[in-house]
Amino acid sequence: MVRLSRVLLKDAGSVIDKTLSDILVCPLSKQPLRVCEKTKSLVSDTIDVSFPIKDGIPCLVPKDGKILEEEGDASKA
Amino acid sequence: MRRINSLYGRIGLLKRVSEKSTKQSHTFLASLTFSTEGSYGGDGEFQQSSSKVKIFDRDLKRIHRDRAAWLSRQKNDTFVDAVAENLIDRLEDCKKSFPTAFCLGGSLGAVKRLIRGRGGIEKLIMMDSSYDMIKSCRDAQEDSLDNSIETSYLVGDEEFLPIKESSVDLIISSLGLHWTNDLPGSMIQCKLALKPDGLFLAAILGGETLKELRIACTLAHMEREGGISPRLSPLAQVRDAGNLLTRAGFSLPGVDVDEYVVKYKSALDLIEHLRAMGETNALLQRNKILNRETALATAAIYDSMFSTEDGSVPATFQVIYMTGWREHSSHPQAKRRGSATVSFTDLQKQFGGQS
Repeated sequence: MVRLSRVLLKDAGSVIDKTLSDILVCPLSKQPLRVCEKTKSLVSDTIDVSFPIKDGIPCLVPKDGKILEEEGDASKA
Repeated sequence: MRRINSLYGRIGLLKRVSEKSTKQSHTFLASLTFSTEGSYGGDGEFQQSSSKVKIFDRDLKRIHRDRAAWLSRQKNDTFVDAVAENLIDRLEDCKKSFPTAFCLGGSLGAVKRLIRGRGGIEKLIMMDSSYDMIKSCRDAQEDSLDNSIETSYLVGDEEFLPIKESSVDLIISSLGLHWTNDLPGSMIQCKLALKPDGLFLAAILGGETLKELRIACTLAHMEREGGISPRLSPLAQVRDAGNLLTRAGFSLPGVDVDEYVVKYKSALDLIEHLRAMGETNALLQRNKILNRETALATAAIYDSMFSTEDGSVPATFQVIYMTGWREHSSHPQAKRRGSATVSFTDLQKQFGGQS
């Protein structure tokens, strides 16, 4: 099974700001987020939702989140 | 792509997860108290936000703010600048410096522009619910020469703060929080996001705002259509502001009020200004149709009832400034009941009985 590279949020300097990566958490569950480099999004594992990053700006509005279909694999529905 | 309308239903999963990892359950309980449903400060159950009263249409507010981002691009708004200036000035009254600051919605551009090194801010994080607004702030920053403050941008909802606990020194919100459905919950989340001895500064519009417009709208509606529909959002009163701060758990709360009277050439200019600020009607119960006759009647009534000698019309904006600190051991606390060492009779003897 192919697993996406699970980059910890604090190492994700390439996708978003270092400052942001230190303090961002999921808006709904307040748990740490995981960066998914492939889809350029922040994934919240506890509730299986991914939030997009548009042009380096993370969009953490609950309405913008996409529910992930399978565990451990983010796919665009 | 499945749109999420019931993402909030996902929160029900949280309870399941807490059984798996007991060492995380403590954090869960702490973060579960940020909603106002259930009990404040206790270990109440987390209720889904769909059961709370929704007054404002948040999606519409995002669209309004997108439009406002485009409308207010060119020139600076004096009213919004005055409010932001007043708010940031309070930083000068504190001896403390705030290296990490977080700016929540409202007039972001004005706050960023007017900081000018006050408060010792080194890192600024800007958050708004509208993507276009954030983009225009970022573009404005790239154009300007002032790059001394490291700024990061983020799109998020004020009612669901995506900020870790105890991570920022200062939270500023200039005219942003009066559109939240759950203001106490928002403030509780702000308090949790602050480090101990962190400051929360907010400016919201108060109950006296646009009272002339409210009167004109009601009269015009009753004349033309025979009924009234809500045109102005319910706004906080000053006495409520103090309660909000204490309820959120801030220590050393402070509230003060300022009234600004802005003059316009006509009532329609007022509406244009409101659009440019993103402050137009977003009540869920609003009447989506506005008759042309009613609109013109409103403008006419406004002019006839409230215009001044030089033909301009005034509009009142009442701004309530709230300040609160996250509790810290250095803050003065009230002493425990029964721990008095001096009685009132002693004090009277000491200071003489001339009164």
